[in-house]
Amino acid sequence: MANSGDPILEAKDVIRRFGGIRAVDGASLDVKEGSITALIGPNGAGKTTLFNVITGFYPGERGSVVFSGRQIFRRPPHYIARLGMVRTFQITKALARMPVIDNMMLAAPDQPGEKLRNVVFRPAAVRQTEEKVRKRAIEVLELFALAKLANDYAATLSGGQRKLLELARALMTEPKMLLLDEPMAGISPVLGRRLLEHMQRLREEQGTTFFFIEHDMEVVMGHSDRVIVMAEGKVIADGAPDEVRRDPKVIDAYLGSGTDPVEEPKP
Amino acid sequence: MSVLLAIPAHPAIPFALSLDFFTAISFWTGVGILAGTYTLLALGLQLNVGFTGIVNFGAAGFMAVGAYAMAILVVTVGLSFWLAMPLAVLITMAFGLLIGLPSLRLRADYFAIATIAAAEIVRYTAQNARGLTGGNQGFFCNTAQTVCFDDTWRSVSDTIEGWLKSAGWSNPEALFPLLLVVWLCVGLAVVALHFAQRTPWGRVLRAIREDEDAARALGKNTLAYKLQSLALSAALGALAGFFLALDLATVHPVDFQPLVCFIGYAVLVLGGLANYWSVAFGSIIMWTILEGTRFLNLPITDEQNAALRFIIVGLTLILLMAFRPQGVFGKKEEMVLGE
Repeated sequence: MANSGDPILEAKDVIRRFGGIRAVDGASLDVKEGSITALIGPNGAGKTTLFNVITGFYPGERGSVVFSGRQIFRRPPHYIARLGMVRTFQITKALARMPVIDNMMLAAPDQPGEKLRNVVFRPAAVRQTEEKVRKRAIEVLELFALAKLANDYAATLSGGQRKLLELARALMTEPKMLLLDEPMAGISPVLGRRLLEHMQRLREEQGTTFFFIEHDMEVVMGHSDRVIVMAEGKVIADGAPDEVRRDPKVIDAYLGSGTDPVEEPKP
Repeated sequence: MSVLLAIPAHPAIPFALSLDFFTAISFWTGVGILAGTYTLLALGLQLNVGFTGIVNFGAAGFMAVGAYAMAILVVTVGLSFWLAMPLAVLITMAFGLLIGLPSLRLRADYFAIATIAAAEIVRYTAQNARGLTGGNQGFFCNTAQTVCFDDTWRSVSDTIEGWLKSAGWSNPEALFPLLLVVWLCVGLAVVALHFAQRTPWGRVLRAIREDEDAARALGKNTLAYKLQSLALSAALGALAGFFLALDLATVHPVDFQPLVCFIGYAVLVLGGLANYWSVAFGSIIMWTILEGTRFLNLPITDEQNAALRFIIVGLTLILLMAFRPQGVFGKKEEMVLGE
């Protein structure tokens, strides 16, 4: 299944500048459906900025991004998320003063109760969906061993638990593709392993595509089908983990080839 | 000692406080109407600030648009009071959307500045568009004095007074019917908002308060929700504007100063964030202090006395912040966890 699918995401010549700095400078890449693809590169390579352009959080200046056959370049984030491409953030965004269960239920798609007119005129439909959503939320929380924390405020969770919650919450949207920005950063090895197991299983059971930024090379080389390397706003290499590891361009990018890489301003 | 001697001779004992007002029904009717009016206003602020995380400082503008729209529709256009009120609510909601559309994309602090500016534009327009609003004379009746905006209300008030009399109150307080209607509206609004907050719709609002980007990443059109929150707050502001106008029997620019919105915020802080019932409580405390201190019998001038009232309110808020920062009914855990 891996590597054999058609591309679900295709980005072409994406450009995004901050002032005079080209954070993403004509990056092109594609991600195959059902794959686990890693995006690596030195600090300031433009990885997170590219994620932000792909998911609509930063409007790109030029380029094209096609997801599932649909042009999504410069479309708003909520539109892109509803198409089935959902992201997580480098710094977790748990909804702190909301219980864990509310974090989860929020993410469910197509809830009639999210419209005031349905709340007033279709209370039965709202209640039914709410029950279904709650049941599913608890199932997913059980999967992530977070069910016993369901009624706690998200702010009381540990850093690793928040990462798991963010992934679990993203899954509640029933995504076709997940973009994870440094999912392993700041979590314990035990939770990290669990997170990787979840990724593998979801890919196998539901065909979910994963595209993730990661600095932990052991994770990248051991758990991805394909690795895309960025440096100075461009994609410089793309291939199986073993090919990429030996690519002189990649070694240059990491160890330096004499020219100073341009630093990307962190959002 | 010289300071004490400089105080003009005063017949009453210094610092005496006559407590007679405390048992007077007229005092509590006045306080109750103001408290109810400001509860409606502050409910809108609670929806915006406490539940959506948008810092709206334009509530006085909503009140002004609502009150003027209602009065103008009745007196100048000649509509019935009952038609003018819902129309004025819709106009105020449209005004809220008009402010929100360009400015809700701004960061929270800039949005606050934009809303206060919008409210001031409304007030200065009301002051200067004399042909439409009566300017600084205030707006009440047409020039021929044949139609006044509260004609219909007065007959409703008389009817309610009749009921009160038949219920055994021989000489009811003139403004008591207004008190009843204001608090009926407050009750309905609190129940409706409280219910709405527990729906998935309310959950999206809270998610926006916590982290707008997270909500957007989960497919929520956050701008649409923030606009709804603002429009509902505008509708509540319009209601507050109606009641203020009926209470004062005039619509005057001075009643819509930024101070009005600040008192609304003081009510919010006093009662506690993210709770609708607390708003009504905070408003009653606030207006009992503000109106009760009118009766302080101190050896000082009236202007000094007026200033003293706000000093007392300020002191109360400082003490509250020191000893109960979450407000009287706020949840401390929610305040601490938000950091």
